[in-house]
Amino acid sequence: MTVDPNAATQSFPPRPPAPSGPNAARYLVPALVAAAVAVGLGAYGKVHDPEGTAFNLAGFSSTSAVKSWLATTAFGFALVQVVSALMVYGKLPGPGWSAKLHRWSGRIAFLVAVPVAVHCLYAFGYQTYDSRVMWHSLLGCFVFGVFSAKMLLLRWDRLPGWLLPVVGGLVFTALTIVWLTSALWFFRNFGVTT
Amino acid sequence: MKRTGPLFTLLAGLLLALFMLSLNATTGTKPASTSQADSPADKVSPSPAPTASKASPSPSPSATPSPSPTRVSAPNADYAGRTDDDSSAVSVSLRDGRAIAYFCDGRDKESWLKGDVGADGSMKLTGDGGSVLNGTLKGGSLRGTVDIEGGHYAFTADKAVKPSGLYRATATVRNAEVDGGWIVLSTGEQVGILKRDGKPAPAPRIDPETGAVTIDGQRLTARPVTP
Repeated sequence: MTVDPNAATQSFPPRPPAPSGPNAARYLVPALVAAAVAVGLGAYGKVHDPEGTAFNLAGFSSTSAVKSWLATTAFGFALVQVVSALMVYGKLPGPGWSAKLHRWSGRIAFLVAVPVAVHCLYAFGYQTYDSRVMWHSLLGCFVFGVFSAKMLLLRWDRLPGWLLPVVGGLVFTALTIVWLTSALWFFRNFGVTT
Repeated sequence: MKRTGPLFTLLAGLLLALFMLSLNATTGTKPASTSQADSPADKVSPSPAPTASKASPSPSPSATPSPSPTRVSAPNADYAGRTDDDSSAVSVSLRDGRAIAYFCDGRDKESWLKGDVGADGSMKLTGDGGSVLNGTLKGGSLRGTVDIEGGHYAFTADKAVKPSGLYRATATVRNAEVDGGWIVLSTGEQVGILKRDGKPAPAPRIDPETGAVTIDGQRLTARPVTP
């Protein structure tokens, strides 16, 4: 927790990919874990019988409303992620604690998104009955896979400079589409309700 | 150098997910949930209603083990009928092993539900807000239950011949998103809800022959719904 994970990649020139040896594992392990997480979530959602229902939180009219607000919270923190990442990389002027902001907004966004995903997979499963639902299911599984890869990649210094921004950008893009196809759709159809 | 922070983040997410999952699993089986308004349907036997006991041979277990690609689908047809308590209408449209259903009380409670139909004519359709329809085809009619917003409704829907069935119209009228759903019963009765920007209200009648309906001065066409 003492070192800023993103700044480290800046201070070294990107090294050419190592020809062989343990370095390959740096990329292979995150990629395999990402694939396993995404496929695993999708397979669980497809195979198990959707329960159609799950517990609700007090104070909300429906689980869909709870999920929409949680998802919107996650999306809000994801926007903070983009801004704070630009600060860390020096593309935007930012305070000294922008790296800390990036880390913690990311953690919160992730932890807020997890219950939503659990409910989706438990109650509805992986569905493809129209294109909105299909993209939501697909990218919903994808986003947690890529996020896992990002977390595992962060453990290493001296990655190619473009790698973390690209992977982080994928996470953000996927999350945005997942949000557009669910929470925004819910608010448009059912009103901005609790 | 290896950092452990990101690993803890992942681990925390995993633990949270497992915690939520166990919470779901336990609340789902409890017969009387303590806190919720929309208490979950008893998932072991989908027909605790007094009337529905003999007609529904528990559809969920039979639907589970058949994701096989070579399934024989139930014949294409539409069904429409009322709930046993006569408060609401249910209509289901079957096409190529898929089904879409509309539950509507004509005032403020409605749900569109979708799902697959098993080879044995059983179906479990799910909709927004956790609504669930369990049904079984038998002869020319569909018998089942709908759980929606804490209510439990048994229903019987007979095969519907045009113009009876389910209809939907969506449009933007005077800057409001209108979304109407109708069930036209074989008696000619109509049960429908029209939502303006998400606010439900009783729907005006449609012309069952053409689907024409006038909403807030604008003429729209409600179309038959298929999966």
